[in-house]
Amino acid sequence: MSETTPNQRGGQRPGAGRKKGTSAYREATQAIRVPESILPSLKAILDARKRRFGQQTDNSAAIYFPAKTPVSIALPLFTGKVSAGFPSPADDYVEKTLDLNDLLIQRPAATFFVRVQGESMLGAGIHPNDILIVDRLIEPVSGKIVICALDGELTVKRLKRENEHWKLKAENSAYTDIVIHEELDMVIWGVVTNVIHAV
Amino acid sequence: MQPLIALVDCDSFYVSCERVFRPDLIGKPVAVLSNNDGIFVARSQEVKDLGIKMGTPVFQVQHLIKQHNIQLFSSNYTLYAELSARVMTLLEEFAPSIEIYSIDEAFLDLTGVCQNDPIAYGQRIRRTVLRATGIPVCVGMGPTKTITKLANFAAKKWKQTQGVLDLSDPVRREKLMRIVSVGEVWGIGSRTATKLNQLGIKTVWDLSKQPVERIRDQFNVVVARTVLELNGIACLELEEITPDKQQIVCSRSFSRRLTDFHELSQAMAEFCSRAAEKLRQQNSVTGCITIFIRTNLFNANESQYQRTASMRLDAATQDTRAIIATATRMLKKIFKTGYDYQKCGVQLSHIQPQLSPGQMDLFDFADNSLTTESRPLMKVFDQINRRFPKAISVAATGFDKPWKAKAELISQRYTTNWRELVFVK
Repeated sequence: MSETTPNQRGGQRPGAGRKKGTSAYREATQAIRVPESILPSLKAILDARKRRFGQQTDNSAAIYFPAKTPVSIALPLFTGKVSAGFPSPADDYVEKTLDLNDLLIQRPAATFFVRVQGESMLGAGIHPNDILIVDRLIEPVSGKIVICALDGELTVKRLKRENEHWKLKAENSAYTDIVIHEELDMVIWGVVTNVIHAV
Repeated sequence: MQPLIALVDCDSFYVSCERVFRPDLIGKPVAVLSNNDGIFVARSQEVKDLGIKMGTPVFQVQHLIKQHNIQLFSSNYTLYAELSARVMTLLEEFAPSIEIYSIDEAFLDLTGVCQNDPIAYGQRIRRTVLRATGIPVCVGMGPTKTITKLANFAAKKWKQTQGVLDLSDPVRREKLMRIVSVGEVWGIGSRTATKLNQLGIKTVWDLSKQPVERIRDQFNVVVARTVLELNGIACLELEEITPDKQQIVCSRSFSRRLTDFHELSQAMAEFCSRAAEKLRQQNSVTGCITIFIRTNLFNANESQYQRTASMRLDAATQDTRAIIATATRMLKKIFKTGYDYQKCGVQLSHIQPQLSPGQMDLFDFADNSLTTESRPLMKVFDQINRRFPKAISVAATGFDKPWKAKAELISQRYTTNWRELVFVK
């Protein structure tokens, strides 16, 4: 067996590999494992450190660095509530608190609020300055209080079918009924469902 | 089963919104103006018929305004946003999936929903939205988004359609495409249209018959996709979830020039506030803040100055105070006296999702002595402002706001403010 010459091919080139201290931090680094929850904060700190050594992690025109670097770092203590009680016999019976929206509004997308002016509907319990809840998707049938546009003006009246005619009636003797006919510029705007009256 | 998409689009949306509480304006010429009441941004059909185009400056057509008694309104975005939300809520009930494309348009996926009679379904949508909100809409249907846009355009233009048009049938589609010019296609701008015309491609039909490869070579992949879409091959999907904004910008022109640092920083603070609010709304934090200030670049007589500055934050934040502080610091660096500033703005970028409440930042570099309890503070801040709009703001935004946009013709916030409800007699 002849002596084999030492293999001069392959293997690590002397002086190969990244030099110590040439990392983005200009010093030797070490790999560690950290909990995932603090990763974003740590990354922010490390990015800041990289920038301070002039190694930008991103391209932005005209970057101005904060004039002050923080001197002291306060580590907040984690504060949290710990429940240490006994289950309540009422737990199974807990219901949602009463909500006026559930009571008064069936279809929010079609519900609007309007304010009353004048006394034409006093007899129906509708006073000046009251707020009316109006649902535009409710079918306007005889007997309903409706908001309608009469000659372009919004008004509140009771819709009534009487003797083959449709009428708009006020609930105040000082006002006359309006009979709906072909030439009348009248469009139903919505149906009143509730009145909000402050006392 | 061929896919069926519908595009529901409101007619002159801002104008329609103004007419909901002003039925006296139906049938009359009405228009809505831009910020600072400068130009026309929405026109009723009556105004369009007078030849006034989108973007026309008000001062240019004063004679027409007086002569025809055109009712003008300043933009009432609060009202428009609220009414838009109602329309979209109603539309959601008509389709298993919907993409809200803009404040007044939505794509609905109607595949399998109304095979028997799509037109009748479209009419039901129109009637329901008009009854419930007072907003008139048109419905265009087809197998791809580009075709629905075309259908919608035709439904609006030709009254015989009664506001609903279905272009699923290739024969009907061809008939329409032969009479509409190529510039009306979604995604074909005037420059592309001119180039297409020069190549002899004048109508939508002409474009749809072009070989896709040739179009891709002579134009770009976007126009090529358009050709495919016009032929019923869907390339654009419905995007149901809007991706979180990767950049939030807030900027405005001023109603009068600002020269004072103090006034400029107030305006900047206000824009920062608004941008921060949007940021918190999507549960994000920002890692980079950019501001810009400039003079009126269109006025050759004024001396010009414009500057931008950016700052990366050591710790991403959603706290209005931190954002204002950073913006102000940068403003001090770029502000120069002696110039008439016309506009400024802020851009929040490097947006990331906020940490869940259980996790706390180990370190807080946000600013000076701000505590780490900013999240609960901002939460209360937003809650109060939601309930009582604009009730509280950061002092840096100032009290009198001389730079605020003119909106002298703004209508009432009929749907968001108890004090501004419409009156009924």
